[in-house]
Amino acid sequence: MDKNRVQVGQLALLYLLLVMGGKFLTLPSLLAGDVGHDSWLSVAFSFVWDGVCLCFLLWAIKINVDSRMDISAILDKSVSKPVTKVFLAIFFVIFVLRTNILLSSCYKMFSVTFDVSTNWIVFVLPVAALAFFAVAKGFNAIARMGQLLFGLILLAVAALFVSPFLEMKFGTLLPIAEAGWGKILLTSYTRSFWFSDYIFIYFVLDGIKVKKSVFAPMLISFAVGAFLCILLNAVFVALFGYLAPDFDMAMSKIGVFSAANTANGRWDWLTLSVWLVSVFIKVMVFIFCAYKCIEKLVGANFVKFNWIAAGIVLSALSLPLFVSTEQLLDTVIKWGVIPFSLVQYLLPLLMPLLTTVAKRKTEAVYE
Amino acid sequence: MKISFEKFHTLWNGQDDFRLRELDCGILLKAVCLDTMCDDAKVSAFVLQPLAYIGKAQSLSEVEKKLAAGTGVRKPPNLFAATEDFTNGYTLIFDKSDNCISVDTRTVVGRSVAEPPTSMVMRGPREGFVEDVKVNITLIRKRLKTPNLKIINLAVGKYTNTAVSVCYIEGIAEQRIVDDIVQRLQSVKTDGVLDSSYLARYLDVSKTFLFRRVGSTEKPDIAVGKMLEGRLAIIVDGSPMVLTVPYLFVEDMQSPGDYYENSAMTTLSRSLRFVSVIVSVLLPALYVCLQVYNYQIIPLRFLITVLNASEAIPFSPLTEMLLVLIVFDILREANLRMPSAVGISLSLVGAIVLGDAAVQAGLLGAPAVMIGALSGIGLFTMPDNTLILSLLRLVVTFIGGVMGLLGVIVSTMTILVYLASMQDYKTPFLAPFAPDIPEDRQDAVAQVPVPKMKKRPRSIPNENRDRRG
Repeated sequence: MDKNRVQVGQLALLYLLLVMGGKFLTLPSLLAGDVGHDSWLSVAFSFVWDGVCLCFLLWAIKINVDSRMDISAILDKSVSKPVTKVFLAIFFVIFVLRTNILLSSCYKMFSVTFDVSTNWIVFVLPVAALAFFAVAKGFNAIARMGQLLFGLILLAVAALFVSPFLEMKFGTLLPIAEAGWGKILLTSYTRSFWFSDYIFIYFVLDGIKVKKSVFAPMLISFAVGAFLCILLNAVFVALFGYLAPDFDMAMSKIGVFSAANTANGRWDWLTLSVWLVSVFIKVMVFIFCAYKCIEKLVGANFVKFNWIAAGIVLSALSLPLFVSTEQLLDTVIKWGVIPFSLVQYLLPLLMPLLTTVAKRKTEAVYE
Repeated sequence: MKISFEKFHTLWNGQDDFRLRELDCGILLKAVCLDTMCDDAKVSAFVLQPLAYIGKAQSLSEVEKKLAAGTGVRKPPNLFAATEDFTNGYTLIFDKSDNCISVDTRTVVGRSVAEPPTSMVMRGPREGFVEDVKVNITLIRKRLKTPNLKIINLAVGKYTNTAVSVCYIEGIAEQRIVDDIVQRLQSVKTDGVLDSSYLARYLDVSKTFLFRRVGSTEKPDIAVGKMLEGRLAIIVDGSPMVLTVPYLFVEDMQSPGDYYENSAMTTLSRSLRFVSVIVSVLLPALYVCLQVYNYQIIPLRFLITVLNASEAIPFSPLTEMLLVLIVFDILREANLRMPSAVGISLSLVGAIVLGDAAVQAGLLGAPAVMIGALSGIGLFTMPDNTLILSLLRLVVTFIGGVMGLLGVIVSTMTILVYLASMQDYKTPFLAPFAPDIPEDRQDAVAQVPVPKMKKRPRSIPNENRDRRG
């Protein structure tokens, strides 16, 4: 059995979990800080661009179904080996940074919401151990676990939305585009680091099993994920109004508005814990991709678990020990937006072309 | 094929139960058998009496034809096969030219077919497998009257030479899986196989150390039911436990009586088992971590009750819970090893005296004892995996107590990743849930009525998915 092989259905569910996984933590308050109550519009624009890129990537998957080339092979054959290395290095930085931001948000959430303050390393080590265990077991195991927990996570998210329903004042979302369309669009771009969750697909390109269509399940999954994220932003602003930028843990703060919770114990924390599983799944997927980046950068095939590669990823995860997350984010937005946009938004558009070129070259060699 | 009598005689002469009779039937014949393995009446009726009345024979082949009363008369091809027959209770007859035939004179020693104590049912067949491989095959063949039932006989174990029969239905079981399993059994290098569980370890492809990867049953109706889904049944002589492969996690949730009850009731009881297992593993951990770190989650009144009950306890919530769980495991282990009459007393002593006394003495809190007991009882809804779940429960509780909710989430996810990664004989362990196979969910936790199960499960590799043809 190929331990990294997944079916399109599994990939679609995993993608939905990933879309929900990271955007419900600090992002809503950051966006509210940038564009006020129009944050949901900013999210919507980001998703429009994500949707376009995803379609191109899915097209590339369709072309690649028979040849089963991985990202490294596609870039090697269609561009050149040095360029491939550059792309892989950028990917590695993105995955490591995004994992760091995710973990840092979770860390903050545990200390703020659950009153559990601990050392960064003590917090990261168990999560990293889980992620590396999953890497050793293969991407298929992660996808299957996502499938197993999907219903439960979706229920938890629904419960978190429903509990404060009566307190929502959607009138606060008006007037629409008060911040100005230009600023809303610019925010979509500057906060793009949180989006384009489809980038993990690059690293499982060679293992996607397509039976019928690749488009339908993935696009449904994308649409549901996008809808939930836009809804969360709208709900968040509808609940907190102009105070929204001050409540940085959106998901955990939303539950505060449920009267039932305060009388009968904070049951919303339990649903929150279930939802957190999706964040950890996202961490697992990103660490898997970072590990694969190293594998492809050194040009080796780690059949068994490679401790050196794991050590490199783990060292990168200790970055917040030296630099604060805010500093890290500022630097990323300042310097990283352009190279990151290259692989997040430009590469997907070129993927069908690059895959076709690589496929033709491979076929020419065989002929 | 010649088999040297001299060699054979040298091997066995001197054993107390070795019997040798020389007979003159026109040619000089030597009949040997093991007294302890043969039935005297059969030796007399199928060997000695026919030989006494045979008159003058020219060759051993002629003798073989005249031993018409014996049902199992054959020519062993070599010394190894002759020894195998001999140790199984056959009587060997040699002529002067080292030709040999073996006659089935095996004695039937063993218990009769009865209801297995581990798989009792309210409704449904009560027959259970016994230790004799032949009887067990009979029980299977009685239910599968088709020439498609194939049985491959093997002998495993250097010294025990244990008879192993691989049974499957041709046209349903996937031939590649059959070949793989037969090859695995043939390659087993061990001095002895005393029970089917010995072979289960060799059939575990991914060498898992936590969960069982091979099913076992004591009931022929269950074994046949599984074979009809494409599985193989492996019968080991000397063991009433018949192995079935491939194996799914969800099989642990299914009980022998499920197929003889109303499907709605079955769905309800399976759901209860499923919830019980989750509660059993997670409840102690959640209780400890909520009490230590996240008491805000607990409703106020409940929290006050818990705090009042555990106020004077000299241990931390984690130590208290671990103590309760360990004491429960000790009681369960002792109970299993005690004769049943003493076992009942022990349960009572454990439950009433130990539990009540510990609470009265202020050593343990009543909520902890209650949660420990509830969790312990819940484990028995999955009897085959009680021990491993009990171990996982201890580990998750410990991690939850040290790291809080984060620990519970991470440890639960680790277990799930581990379970999701397991796949033997092209069968994912967590099917039909991960990967999701909607058609197979008709007989997983929920069960549709038997007439509606028209397809065999896709999770188990098979060559014919249609149950009706």
